[in-house]
Amino acid sequence: MSGIYTYKNVLTDAPAGAASPLAGVRVVVQPNISVRGWPCDAGSKALEGFVPLQDAEVVTRLKSAGALLVGSSRMAELGFGLTGETSVRSLGEGADVAAMTDTMGEARVASATEGFFGFKPSFGLVSRFGLIGLVPSMECTGVAGRDLNSIIDIMTTIAGKDPNDPSMPDEPPVDFTSTPQGFEGPFRAGIVKESLDLLNETEAHAFKAGLARMEAIGAAIEEVSLPGYSLFRAVHNTVAAVEASSSAGKYDSVRFGHRSPQGRNWNEMYLASRGESFRLPVKAFLFQGAFFQFEDYGAFEDACRIRNRLVRETTDVLGAVDFLVFPTRRMEHDAWAAGSVRAVYESFMLTLPANVTGSPAVQVPGCAVHDGVDIGLQIMGRRRDDARLLSAASAIASSVLRG
Amino acid sequence: MKYEAVIGLEIHVQLNSATKLFCDCPNRPGDEPNRNTCPVCLWLPGNLPHLSREALEKATVACLALNCTIQPVSAFDQKVYYYPDLPKGFQLSQHHLPLSRNGWVDIAAEKGGMKRLRIHHIHMEEDVAKLVHETEGKTPISLVDFNRAGTPLIEIVSEPDIRSPYEAMEYIKALRTQLRYTGTAECSMEQGTMRVDANISIRPEGTSEFNTKVEVKNMNSIRNVGDAIAYEITRQTECLEKGEAIILHTRLWDPDKRVTTAMRGKFAGPCVPDPSVAKIRVTEDWLKRMQERLPEMPAKKAERFVTEYGLTPDEALAMSLDRDISEFFEDTAKRGLSPHKVTNWITTHLAPMLKDRNQTIEETALTAERFARLLAMLEKGVINAHGAREILLKLLESNESPEDLVEKGQFRQVSDTSELEGIIDGIIADHSADVEDFRKGNEKVVGFLMGLAMKASKGKANPKLLREMLVKRLG
Ligand SMILES: [Zn+2]
Repeated sequence: MSGIYTYKNVLTDAPAGAASPLAGVRVVVQPNISVRGWPCDAGSKALEGFVPLQDAEVVTRLKSAGALLVGSSRMAELGFGLTGETSVRSLGEGADVAAMTDTMGEARVASATEGFFGFKPSFGLVSRFGLIGLVPSMECTGVAGRDLNSIIDIMTTIAGKDPNDPSMPDEPPVDFTSTPQGFEGPFRAGIVKESLDLLNETEAHAFKAGLARMEAIGAAIEEVSLPGYSLFRAVHNTVAAVEASSSAGKYDSVRFGHRSPQGRNWNEMYLASRGESFRLPVKAFLFQGAFFQFEDYGAFEDACRIRNRLVRETTDVLGAVDFLVFPTRRMEHDAWAAGSVRAVYESFMLTLPANVTGSPAVQVPGCAVHDGVDIGLQIMGRRRDDARLLSAASAIASSVLRG
Repeated sequence: MKYEAVIGLEIHVQLNSATKLFCDCPNRPGDEPNRNTCPVCLWLPGNLPHLSREALEKATVACLALNCTIQPVSAFDQKVYYYPDLPKGFQLSQHHLPLSRNGWVDIAAEKGGMKRLRIHHIHMEEDVAKLVHETEGKTPISLVDFNRAGTPLIEIVSEPDIRSPYEAMEYIKALRTQLRYTGTAECSMEQGTMRVDANISIRPEGTSEFNTKVEVKNMNSIRNVGDAIAYEITRQTECLEKGEAIILHTRLWDPDKRVTTAMRGKFAGPCVPDPSVAKIRVTEDWLKRMQERLPEMPAKKAERFVTEYGLTPDEALAMSLDRDISEFFEDTAKRGLSPHKVTNWITTHLAPMLKDRNQTIEETALTAERFARLLAMLEKGVINAHGAREILLKLLESNESPEDLVEKGQFRQVSDTSELEGIIDGIIADHSADVEDFRKGNEKVVGFLMGLAMKASKGKANPKLLREMLVKRLG
């Protein structure tokens, strides 16, 4: 087994008909996206040996559109951060696109680091059925790819109401078919002044270069204010930890997963198995969630209230401009090396607001560059404005190609 | 000092919807273990619950039957606790935003009149799996049966209005009557489709504070609930009189020893809103449709039976408690029979027969139409009560007409005086000593001789005529 894949598809699927929209497109998935018959351990010993009985809705749609599932990558435990993640690396080795969960910015940050495109759709646009998730209200299947067209093709296939996911709102489908040709500039883009404090000098220069690229295709850039910006991280951490603690409650090591030989009764066996299964930083994250659940429920309620306020503030700001623009990553905070909850959060500071608000966001490589360092240009749009967001990203990407 | 009890009941009722609450598996917990399961109710990773419309509708109708106000928005929370009967680590339950609030039922008060007992709220929740412990063999093992996992429950939480074991039992019976009427639940404590937990505290009579309460579980009949509460009131009173403090804890009722015993400290987990199950928003239109599903409820029906059929309040109550019986009564009485006679035959003959056979009317071959024809023959004197009873037993089992049964079984009443005369002759001849007795003034002899004469007629004699003739002959 290669270092990139945890499982490689050995079946030679019948070649899809030429008419199939994704014929010949090679897709790698993270092992938390259920593929019937494949081991799906979500990167955790707690799911060791778990083999789903059903395909995730995303997988069903990919398969029927003729995509070739090449295998599953390695991933950070339960999709929390990017420690050990390999799916973007597979983009150079056998895969065209990677379907990966984006809970705090994983698809965007991973793509930015490797110089690829990465997209997190609006919350509720892609079915979560079959996703072995951790933070139901924030996560969704994102897509990383070498070009935007393949990401758009994948989105065209996987987006849309799934009766198996009742948490998806009953809304008309987002139409990706006219993307990217459908883009009609010019547009207004806002930079959130409170976010600029997070950048060092090089990053600030790189971001400016990215903005210049946008202006070059006719974007009007203006500074806007999100007074609650500094609260995004605390809100994400509190709500996500609580949801994670609940989601991970089902890993009892009885029916699947690592089971400890320790313990004289079921309770001791649970404790020992879970203690041996989870690693840092997930273990610390689950502790935080349990703490809020059992000891400080008021803090969780506050976080939910503030989250609603942040959603309102963001919606208001996005009423005045078409998009918000941020860098994608910070150079000094390497998501792959993050060993603590704090370090994980530091590396997703610029991406996690989109997860808190459920907004779509796309990472574009090659424009926010300074001194040879690409920090990634991230554009965030209104909820359900995914198609126009990808169009704008395409326009910027084309201008990069033209030089 | 005199104490009074403050009692609140938390009652879980299993809804009889066809499927479980969040998946399409059959709601039949009694089937072969783990037969009615799927990835959703096995709580396997990657699955999402989808709320059953039918269960929601049944829960709503049940709430309406208990006079609760359906809330415009309700939602599911995760009640977090870890136990092997709940391998997902949380139970979906409506903690923060229950389906309905502020209901009530009326009971007959102990000292006469009615007493209204309030319901605080009713919420929906999923049941957990069932554990089967096998302690025999070298290594004791515990097996988990997921048939019950995810089946729909409503939990009915009362206000602390109940003051005695009697009121607690009447409250449960009232809930049961109302819920059975709607056809949404079976409500059998014996079969576990209704489970009652009681919270009991005591205070000096006439005061209004709420003292530390003790929870009692594990009662498997309504009678047991009354007994457990009575036991607990005595126990707590004794504690207070000895100067001991009451400690918040949970006790289990032991139905064999008839005592409550303390169980290990109860673990109360937190409740977090579930991010996956959609919120329930009730529209006026939908609520109206649910209200239309509510049948005429027993209290209303009893009133109508008094005005429309001239029943006494007691008769009307007896005829309205059970929905099947009430419909059967009305269907029979409409066929031109005396409503009192119909009531009398249902209460003294039909109901005990059904109880004996452990059947509902629906489950027997009896129809109101044939029952009415039977009672008509009784009224006309074609058969006597004894014969009618025999035929009724047969009507429960076969579709034959009551008229055919009368002829076939020779149940036709004997009113022919010469035939009866012959029977009386025989009896008097064989029992001259008893006849002497009567003539000396022992009136009891008539009953004895009547019994013999009825027997000699194989129960077919017209009893009124027979008695007249017998007394005449003896006199
Ligand atoms: Zn099921």
